Order: sequence, then structure tokens, then C-alpha cells
Amino acid sequence: MKLVDVGKFGVGVYNVGGSLHAIVNYCSHEGAPLCEGLIGGTNETAPDEPGGLRRVKDGQIVRCPWHNWEFDVTTGQNLADPKRRVRTYDVDVDDGKVYLTA
Amino acid sequence: MIIDTNVQPHFRYNAEIRRHLPAAHKLRSIPDVEQQWYQAPGGNYRQDLYGEHYPGSDPETVARHLFDDAKVDYAVLNPLTRGNIADYLLNSRICAAVNDWLLDRWLEPDSSNRFRGTIRVNPEDPKGAVAEIERLAAHPKLVQVGVPMQSREPYGKPMFEPIWEAAAAHRLPVAVHINGGNGVDYPPTFAGHADTYPGYAAFMPLNYFVHMATLIIEGVFGRHPDLRFVFADGGYDILTPLMWRLDTFWLSMRDQTPWVDRYPSDYLPAHVRFCSSAFDGPTDPGQMQRWMEFSGKAELLMYGSGYPHWSTSLPEEAAGGLDSAQRDNVLWRNAGELYGLAAPAEGSIR
Repeated sequence: MKLVDVGKFGVGVYNVGGSLHAIVNYCSHEGAPLCEGLIGGTNETAPDEPGGLRRVKDGQIVRCPWHNWEFDVTTGQNLADPKRRVRTYDVDVDDGKVYLTA
Repeated sequence: MIIDTNVQPHFRYNAEIRRHLPAAHKLRSIPDVEQQWYQAPGGNYRQDLYGEHYPGSDPETVARHLFDDAKVDYAVLNPLTRGNIADYLLNSRICAAVNDWLLDRWLEPDSSNRFRGTIRVNPEDPKGAVAEIERLAAHPKLVQVGVPMQSREPYGKPMFEPIWEAAAAHRLPVAVHINGGNGVDYPPTFAGHADTYPGYAAFMPLNYFVHMATLIIEGVFGRHPDLRFVFADGGYDILTPLMWRLDTFWLSMRDQTPWVDRYPSDYLPAHVRFCSSAFDGPTDPGQMQRWMEFSGKAELLMYGSGYPHWSTSLPEEAAGGLDSAQRDNVLWRNAGELYGLAAPAEGSIR
């Protein structure tokens, strides 16, 4: 993740499996600096596996540093409640330069 | 129409249960039905009901009090067993005896077709509980499965799931009712044993929340869309703040229980009902309507008299302060949908 100092809160740009995605550095819950949270995966149900869980979406899910809310950086959606989202930005790469569009 | 979802029919005398026990268990000692450490001052039952036999033990008297005096159309009978007994195999036989007694003395002779009953099972014997559900589920007057509030573990734990699965397969709600006091009970509060009856009575009904929370969080409701639980001792006045709490933790730690695929509170409408209790609700009736809308309680609450308990409430008391839609929901609509009860034959609709 690279935090870009633009706008009021900054924007985090993430490389998810080779494609770039950008979200605002501001959690829609209580305004925490979201991009300071851990980037990683999440768990889905796997009833037949010993722990009942399977790790998925590695490198795609950021966890808010304040209350652990999970957001998918490719969509801005909260994993628990997709209606709770954070702003995303279009990312374009041109001649080695990364452009964010607000 | 009025449906009373919480009536406790009683044996006339302690030994009556022995008529229904199998020979191998007939001579075993069984706790007295009123053997309960926390006795209400003045007795556990409505004072005017004490007579030669236990209160609530004569079908004709109960029918008169409920159907004639209180204008109830249907009454769901949920007899107490003897609570937790260390010998779980004996306890399952006691449950079966109570069920046979309920059929013989209350349901089969009831030509008015207004009594409905409960299949009592012992959750400490999951195999026996499933067998008892399978034995009786087809009976048209047995409309739910009954278990004690007191339990060794919360009901969301995996050892109980076969029981709930069997109940759901037969579309039978599971009613949880305080039922115990025989010496192998667990502390009635999170912090241990209360000294006195008020301390017990104020807290004990709230234990339902532990069962309900684990049924949600451990995914039992999610795996069994037809499973419904009825919490028969009230306690719904703590529902909203504790559901807020569950919802909040789920937003933060959803990945630990990804099988919970919606807000915990979103499971309530399809899976949880409450019987009304005289102890729940605001003391100011002016706050009643707004309070009922918290957590959608107007869709969850069903009138239950608790007859013949000393805190028995009449329909008009349970509906006090409600608007007309809430009143209909509480007095009959919610229970009618849950138990599949429609208005009785013409002429008796009130």
C-alpha cells in the first residue's frame, strides 16, 4: 500500500494481485485512518474443514485499525454490511505513472 | 381471537406421574414438582387456585378460567417436568411420562379442541430427545417441543443440534421455559446464586439471552431455516441493548464466524418469539408503543398468561398501552402464525 497525500484524508493505493486499487484513508464508521490498518485476507465458511474456516482474498481486505471492520479495497464495500462502504477512486497507469481520478 | 401461549398444567398430586412411567422406572425417586429453592412469598401459584389439588391440575377449571373468564380461544399447555436430574436416562422417561399424561388427561379428552400441547424432551439426552420428538411429532395437538431454561451448556452448542434439527424437520418451535430447582441446577445468575426470591426472579428469565446468542453466533439458526425458538419467561426488555451489542461485535469480528451472514438481529423475525411476562416492559404505559418497536418486538411477542403462576397476567394486562396493530399481534396474530392456529368455529370469535 502506498499512502498518497491528496485530498482531505489521503488515499491508499493497493496492489492486489497485480492490479491497482485506491480507497480513501478514512473509515466510514468513525473516521479512523483506514489505510493504516492491516491488509490481508478474510475467512469464509468451510464446514468440512477442521476449523470450519477457509482463508480467502489474501491481499484484498483491509481492516480498520480502530474497530477491525473489514473492507474490500477493490470495491470499497464493508464485508459484513456491503451498504457500509468507503470511497474508491479510479486508478490508471500510463507510461509508468499512476493517476488517481476523484 | 386470543391465544394464550404459556400455560402450565399440573399433576393433581405428586405420584400421578407414576401411572405413566414404564415398569423399569416406576419405583425410582423423583423430585417433588414443587421442590424449588426459590419459592415466591405466599406460594408460586395464584392464591385463589390452591385447593385440594395443585393449582392448574383440573382441565375443566383451567378451561373455565382461560376460555370463559379470560376469553382465550386457544391455550398452549407447556407442563413442567422436574428440571435437570442427574440421571439423564431417568429424566427422559419422566419427560415421556409427562407427555403421555398430557395426552391422556388434557389433550385427548378435550372435545372443545382448544388446548394445544408441548412435547417435553430432555436436552441432556440428545438421542432420547430426538426419539421422543419422532414418537410424538405427528400428533396434531402437539405444537411445540419444550426444554428447560436451565442447561449444562448454552443451546447453541453442537451437542444439542440434532434435537433442534428434529424439531425443525417437523416444523415444531422449541419453547424454553424455566423448569428446575431440584438440586442439579446451575447458578441462576452469571455471578452465582441469588440469596432471595426477588434476586432470583429478576434475573433468571434473562438467561434466555445466552441460549439465543449462541444459537445465532454458532450458526444454528443459519443452518436450520425452519428452526424457531420461543422464550417463554419473557426477558425481552433486555433484548434491544444486547442485540445492539451482538451486532456491534459482529461488524468487527465477522471473519471469526462467517456463517453468520447477516446482522445477528436480522435472525430475530424468522427464528425467535417471546411469551409475554408481567415483569417486562416500561412502567409508564405511555412509553409502551415506542418500546415495542425496538428490535421489532411487536412481531416477536405473544400473549402468555403463565397460568397458574402467581404472576399470571390477563390478556388486557399484556396488551395494556399497545396500539391496535400491536395488540392484535400480541394477542393472537404472532401466535396464530407460529402454531398454525386460525380462529375457531364461528360464533366463538371475540
